[in-house]
Amino acid sequence: MAAGLAGTQAAAMRDAYDVVIIGAGHNGLTLGAYLARSGLDVAVLERRHEEGGGLCTEEITLAGFLHNVHANYHTFVDMAPPVGDLEVREHGVEYVRPEVQMASVFDDGTALCIHSDIDKTCASIARFNEEDAETFRRLYNEAHGFIDLLLGTLMYQPPMSVKELTKALSAFGVDKRSEFLSVKLRVETIDKFLDQHFTDPKVKAHLAFHGAVCGYTNDVPGLAIGFPLLAGKIDNWHLCIGGSHRLAHALWRDLAQHGGVMISDAEVASIAVDAGHAVGVRLADGTEISARRAVVSTVSVEQTFLDFLDPAAVSRELRGRVTTDVKHKDWSLFSVHLAMNRFPEYAAASFDPDVDRAWVVNLGYGSPAELDADWATIRGGGLPAPRPNAAVNSLYDPTDAPEGYATGLLRQFAPFALANGGEAAWDDIGPFYGRKCIEAWRRFAPNMTDDAFLATTVFTPFDIARKLPNMVRGDWMMGEISLDNMLDQRPLPELGQYRTPVERLYMAGSTQHPHGFITFGPAYNALQVMAEDLGIEPWWRKI
Amino acid sequence: MPAIYTTEWYEAVREAINASVAGIKGVPEGAWTCRVEIIGDSASPYVQGGAERHFLVRIESGLCSWYREVDPGDEAMVLDYRFRGPAAVFDAIAAGIDDPIDAALRGAVKVRGDMRFLMRQADLVKTLLDAYATAVDTTWPRGRPPYEGSTGGSPAGDTGGNGGGSRSGGDTGGNGSGSRSGGDIGGNGGGSRSGGDTGGGNA
Amino acid sequence: MTKATYDAIIIGAGHNGLCLAAYLQRAGLDTLVLERRHEEGGGANTEEPVMAGFRHNLHAQYMEFFDVMPMIQDFGLEDLGLRTVMPDAQAGIAFADGRPPIVLHRPDRLDATRASIARYSAQDADLFVELKRRAMALEALVATNLYNPPNLTDSTPGAQADMLDALFGDLGVGRHYAQKSPKQVIDELFETPELRALLYRVTVEWGFPVDQTGTGGAFLSFVMWTVGNWKLALGGTHTLAKAMTQACYREGVDLLESSPVEAIIVADGRATGVRTRSGREIRATKLVASNADLRQTLLDLVGEDHLSSLWVKRARAYRYGPSHVLATPMFCLYEPPAYSSARWDPDIDRCFYTMVGFDGPEDTIRYIRDAYSGMLPQPAAGTWVNSLWDASQAPAGRHSATGWYFMPPASSLDARQWAEVRAEYNDRFLGVWQRSAPNMTPDNVLAHKLYTPDQIERKNLMREGDFSNGEFSPDQMGANRPFPEASSYRTEVDGLYLCGPSAHPGGGMHAACGYNAFKAISEDLGLASPLVAERGY
Repeated sequence: MAAGLAGTQAAAMRDAYDVVIIGAGHNGLTLGAYLARSGLDVAVLERRHEEGGGLCTEEITLAGFLHNVHANYHTFVDMAPPVGDLEVREHGVEYVRPEVQMASVFDDGTALCIHSDIDKTCASIARFNEEDAETFRRLYNEAHGFIDLLLGTLMYQPPMSVKELTKALSAFGVDKRSEFLSVKLRVETIDKFLDQHFTDPKVKAHLAFHGAVCGYTNDVPGLAIGFPLLAGKIDNWHLCIGGSHRLAHALWRDLAQHGGVMISDAEVASIAVDAGHAVGVRLADGTEISARRAVVSTVSVEQTFLDFLDPAAVSRELRGRVTTDVKHKDWSLFSVHLAMNRFPEYAAASFDPDVDRAWVVNLGYGSPAELDADWATIRGGGLPAPRPNAAVNSLYDPTDAPEGYATGLLRQFAPFALANGGEAAWDDIGPFYGRKCIEAWRRFAPNMTDDAFLATTVFTPFDIARKLPNMVRGDWMMGEISLDNMLDQRPLPELGQYRTPVERLYMAGSTQHPHGFITFGPAYNALQVMAEDLGIEPWWRKI
Repeated sequence: MPAIYTTEWYEAVREAINASVAGIKGVPEGAWTCRVEIIGDSASPYVQGGAERHFLVRIESGLCSWYREVDPGDEAMVLDYRFRGPAAVFDAIAAGIDDPIDAALRGAVKVRGDMRFLMRQADLVKTLLDAYATAVDTTWPRGRPPYEGSTGGSPAGDTGGNGGGSRSGGDTGGNGSGSRSGGDIGGNGGGSRSGGDTGGGNA
Repeated sequence: MTKATYDAIIIGAGHNGLCLAAYLQRAGLDTLVLERRHEEGGGANTEEPVMAGFRHNLHAQYMEFFDVMPMIQDFGLEDLGLRTVMPDAQAGIAFADGRPPIVLHRPDRLDATRASIARYSAQDADLFVELKRRAMALEALVATNLYNPPNLTDSTPGAQADMLDALFGDLGVGRHYAQKSPKQVIDELFETPELRALLYRVTVEWGFPVDQTGTGGAFLSFVMWTVGNWKLALGGTHTLAKAMTQACYREGVDLLESSPVEAIIVADGRATGVRTRSGREIRATKLVASNADLRQTLLDLVGEDHLSSLWVKRARAYRYGPSHVLATPMFCLYEPPAYSSARWDPDIDRCFYTMVGFDGPEDTIRYIRDAYSGMLPQPAAGTWVNSLWDASQAPAGRHSATGWYFMPPASSLDARQWAEVRAEYNDRFLGVWQRSAPNMTPDNVLAHKLYTPDQIERKNLMREGDFSNGEFSPDQMGANRPFPEASSYRTEVDGLYLCGPSAHPGGGMHAACGYNAFKAISEDLGLASPLVAERGY
């Protein structure tokens, strides 16, 4: 046994695989599992000690309280092909679709609820405006009609250009056939779309807020194009029982069961390139791992092209564009994680008792304009008076807190860098702003007094970047959602099809089309491209 | 004037499609196999409720080279596209009173396959669909859509008023092609049997 | 997921449960592991509970059994992500007045260990190094003891005394030392107070009460073997659980988290399955094995109705703590501690495990006695700064420090009192730390948190916060663990096995409870033995 004592390092891991994937977030694991199922020898390398990336559930307040530190809402369940292809549920993932999905409570004591039942949702909207309720129903029904087409066209295919899309929509005469789809959507804001179709400012505010929560900022031109899809799946929000991290376990399990491996604490320092081909990676500890067929990066464009690749392997132009042109979200998320001894009881429950059963409650803006005013503040590096949304997963997941207790999450839109002190100032101001968020909540849920909380932990935009450096500048979308950063333009035109200028190097993370969130889209689409290049029979293609 | 879903009708549709495509420039090379799945919905008198009729259609360089009916359980053929929807919707499209793109947009006909290609070839696709929907002057021996109470896959039972019509259509629609239809492109499955039965009765 | 019926169901995805599962599945049994928490690994646990990017091992810290652990070899865990580092300077003690530290080095660097102790006493240095050298020869014996059921190895007092005679007799450290307490042994052998202070602490860390007579042999063999024989799991201790889980996945084990078991179903004296808290019943055609603690397994899950009065009595009498109740402080640091003792020996600043706040043997003894008797000791700790060897454990240029405080059992204080401990104890310790390492001012700390015994109990159901999951004392060790009638991993309920740390050899990252349970099961079911002749167990 002296061998173990002699060297500082124990036996090294295997040093060659067919495919090496950088990053064990949901995209890395998903792609790895498909490739492993296709018979390839796959290693997924993860910098952190835990797989999952944004699928991160930790007990960051107190033992027994499970907090989803990043992804909390799974909105593409049963829409994303990998959920079925990789038998996610058979691997133990349990999803719940809460009956009361989300709500907005307003300053005047009223409340609007989105239910899993569209009739109830429309009834709730009708209390504000009956016409809006009917409009919403038509929008929802129309979107439901084309949701499969839209998913198949816009999410789970390598992307087309906006131009191609526009041409096709026009050839098919879609805007003449649809009340809500029009070619103009690609230049309009969600605000404008809402103004065109809805009347009540609170209804509009709820929908605008919904868009923003999904990453589609309501005042950004062109994002109206995404709104019909958001409306169509507004009630498809699922909660992963036992925390979002369990999905990571399921994907990892699928990978491992099919012969792949996930290696945690394996920080990639560089990608080895030989004669223009990616041939492996070198870890921060010096370990070299070669990749016989391909190297895939699921982390940020900056890490991949500036940190991992030797300057000689990338054109100066591309390096320049990666430095200056990659677009990140101009706002991030500030979170307060709560260990609680009670459920919130909203004052607005006297208006609509269902708010107390809503999974997520927005401390509602009275109008989109109020929300837009906060965007202006945030973009200037300022902190708005908080109006977070409050998710209480324990309402629907009894395993996420000890019996008799509850786990809570307040999420507030916030800047990454503060005008005063930059991002580093978050370490000082975070706890203070966290208290402000709790006070804002208390105004709507008076029973959330200080003695309701056993412990609180804030998680700032700076923390996002520190925990998951692929989320550059706290960019939880890994790239802005905007017209010039969508589809084949995302993250840069030359990287928009999952291939890169380096042969055998692919991009398959949320930097790619469609975008962040637990969509599985980047991995699924990169898979199609890799299958073509590597000659893999697409067994997953079910037509 | 061929009757719906008869061999003559399919031949007419094929000719119409091929004629219309001939005028298009830049038709993509290559071959695509499409499967059309018509679900009997009790509204359409042409495919019985609970039954399904599945057809394979082969498109080569924009032209329909062959088509045939297959057993609904027969998935031997590797597909490029699958179109699936209720018979009443397909009937209505063939009658020119429903629009295939509308039907797809409202989810009445489900489309699976490479959407990107369909979008990129929008002009061709539109031409093919228009030809299918409007280029053939179809007869409707068992009644003509729209069927009462049916907007594409709506519940059965509402067809009562139409039921007599459809039966009478059967009685009078003796164009003799029913049996051939059954023989050529049917021959198996509930749908084709229905075609065979009525055809035989009419012969 | 999960079928309605399995061959084997294992309760608890701690590292012992994972070990057993992998072997069972490989032996052809369709195996399900049910884990109460959302994460596998039990005490093989690494989290980021304080600040993003700062990792802390909440339970197990140093790894001494990796070279002998069968599962690592049998399932190729190195290929599945398990990697380790063995720092040169292993165990050290620093002092507030800046006098020379004592630094124990790796077993292959005993010259350095000798030089360090010799600053105080050449006699102690020579004796310690000689004892350590000979204790290292015990590795095969340690491994044989660990990876066999207790009744298969001769661990009787007589055998142990013979071993001492054979091993150390010519040094005058023969059989009668087995009857002494560790403190008596240490005091008799070593004159240096600083070395005594260090060795007391190392001893209690294994849950051996330093005053308990009859464990002197365990000190001389086991503690002397383990001290300074420690590895760091790169990425954190949880890496071990990750690699084991991955091995289970690859074998085809079903593993379901967030699935607390409410009952072990017993029919006609036989365990036939489990019922989860969500009300699901899952059948086990061949066996149920529990990695949960003894009382939970027998009294809560099986239920007294299905047990004899003797077993009920035994289970109730099983003791948790007070000798191994710990709290884990976690500090996020700008720079690692720089000890004033380093002017004598810079290795104290790059030592894997550093004891702080024990300025003399009396301090260590008072500290331990306070904790055992239900009082909060004056703050002092064993500390690790794992980021010194593993950059992944803290953000670039920052350091992550973790420690162990001895604490009174969880039930000694109420929830409010524990909250107070969490609120103030780290600050008090920081004051102590600063006396030995002047740079450990509050300004050097980005953030800190304390994980207390009540939290440990809640997170991992380690009762009273007892890291050993049952006190290590002669009446609860070896063939007496958890009690004589249950020491073969079998229970009086047919088909129900114990595979967790309430069985021999107890708590610790050796996976031996799971491995030995597999041996018992393979005997009962006629499966192939996992014995590898070359390694001897």
